[in-house]
Amino acid sequence: MSANMDMITAQGLGHRYKTAEGSEVQALQNVNLKVPRGQFVVIIGRNGSGKSTLAKHLNALLQPTEGRVLVNGIDTKDGERIWEVRQTAGMVFQNPDNQLVATTVEEDVAFGPENLGIPPADIRSRVRQSLLAVGMAEYAKHAPHLLSGGQKQRVAIAGILAMKPKCIILDEPTAMLDPSGREEVLQTVKKLNREGITVIHITHHMDEAVEADRVIVMDDGKVILDGSPRQVFRQVDKLKAVGLNVPQITELAQQLRNAGVEIADDILTIDEMVASLCPSS
Amino acid sequence: MSIIVENVSYTYMPGTTFAVSALDNVSLTIQDGEFVGIIGPTGSGKSTLVQHLNGLLRPTSGRVIVDGIDLSAKRVDLKKVRRHVGVIFQYPEHQLFEETVYKDIAFGPKNLGVSDDEIERRVYEAIAQVGLGKEILGRSPFELSGGQMRRVAIAGVLAMKPTTLVLDEPAAGLDPQGRDEILSHVRDLHQQGNLTVILVSHSMEDVARLVSRVIVMDKGRIFLEGTPREVFRKKDDLKRIGLDVPQVVQLVQKLKDKGIDIRTDVLTIDEAKSEILRILRRSTQ
Repeated sequence: MSANMDMITAQGLGHRYKTAEGSEVQALQNVNLKVPRGQFVVIIGRNGSGKSTLAKHLNALLQPTEGRVLVNGIDTKDGERIWEVRQTAGMVFQNPDNQLVATTVEEDVAFGPENLGIPPADIRSRVRQSLLAVGMAEYAKHAPHLLSGGQKQRVAIAGILAMKPKCIILDEPTAMLDPSGREEVLQTVKKLNREGITVIHITHHMDEAVEADRVIVMDDGKVILDGSPRQVFRQVDKLKAVGLNVPQITELAQQLRNAGVEIADDILTIDEMVASLCPSS
Repeated sequence: MSIIVENVSYTYMPGTTFAVSALDNVSLTIQDGEFVGIIGPTGSGKSTLVQHLNGLLRPTSGRVIVDGIDLSAKRVDLKKVRRHVGVIFQYPEHQLFEETVYKDIAFGPKNLGVSDDEIERRVYEAIAQVGLGKEILGRSPFELSGGQMRRVAIAGVLAMKPTTLVLDEPAAGLDPQGRDEILSHVRDLHQQGNLTVILVSHSMEDVARLVSRVIVMDKGRIFLEGTPREVFRKKDDLKRIGLDVPQVVQLVQKLKDKGIDIRTDVLTIDEAKSEILRILRRSTQ
């Protein structure tokens, strides 16, 4: 194992499995990926493209059938260090109701560190810090099932933070949330990223990818595009061909270009569009 | 067939310390053939409201009248009402349970006592209405993709031949293509199938381009109501209750703020495009 600067390395990663009917599925095929420390990566792709399968390899919930995955330099196949991998790269899932187990918010957040055998006094301070970090400290004594969707997801994130991870993997954490719930979760994740945590965020909402450092597009178990949001969303036709979309503003910019308007082909936000339509101001 | 909601209030666990008021004096009328969108933040009462439309919940006070039948009356034939008003809840694919797609779609009409010939006719019709091929009918629903499973679940409701279809977040969790497919089938059902459609959604973009009337709920009350143009013009009001307006609406409003003489009631990418082209051409003349 080489000491490297990357948080995640996937080398020739493949994953094959047999369905109940006996047919073989190649869910991932020769995925090569390096995610540097502190990066904010968004993964998009249609249903069945392999996004979630990839995510589950990044904290050893699944094992490669070909190639290998290193998390902070640790091979996920190293059975002795599997808990180290899961503590380094924590995972948040789509449905908040399936992730919260305790009767109060603080007990829920304490669940992970308790399982790690952390001393009680230390757990209390971790729970407090984690709830502060996601803006849920005032809800410490509340029952998780009475919270809103966005609040539940923030508690789920706090539960991961209490394990002091270096990386957080979020598998469609906003799919079941309303616009303000989505915004709460995204702001929380962005803040954690600014504080140095590597973030891998899987989503179907193209507009959530706009502010990422990097967008990875998956299709049919392979990485088909990998670049900055500007580089990726410029390829409107390619994205549409794999069942994806671009943010509404990017789509509008492309249609204006097709109608002969001289406007950049990599516009991602409303403010960029305003600036390019009113250059004087 | 009209749906009349008259001064409806609903309290969960009334008379206990856990009592929560979910609907507070809501009144609305939905006319035959309308396509209505219901939006609102989580906990605003949207789901509680739609559960009143086929008698799954009964109002704590007030009345719900579907096609002349008062659902709060003592002896009411709810089975008849549910045949008219089909409700598709979030993640309906979790309710699939039969061995084959055919049996799953046939389940509803079978319970209604429909003849086998008629069931078969309905199953074939329903599967086509959701854009799936009939070769799928012999397969297990659990082998299908998420988007296909959801369409099978919708077909199961269509096979009951409802006159009103209520869909709670039908596109949640689907990829963009899956979203577009489901929603374009819903639009076809409204236009060609003469169905009244009530769509509950978190996507302002979808509501803006699909429905003819928007009802905005907040804290158990109707907060705003009108055509999408009227409603999405009120960006600040919507923001205040945690909702957004479509990106193109935000764009034209910002352009307007810059002093550009642009219409601010656009709803779709196409409308924004023609409006921007109009002002650009005018400024070059």
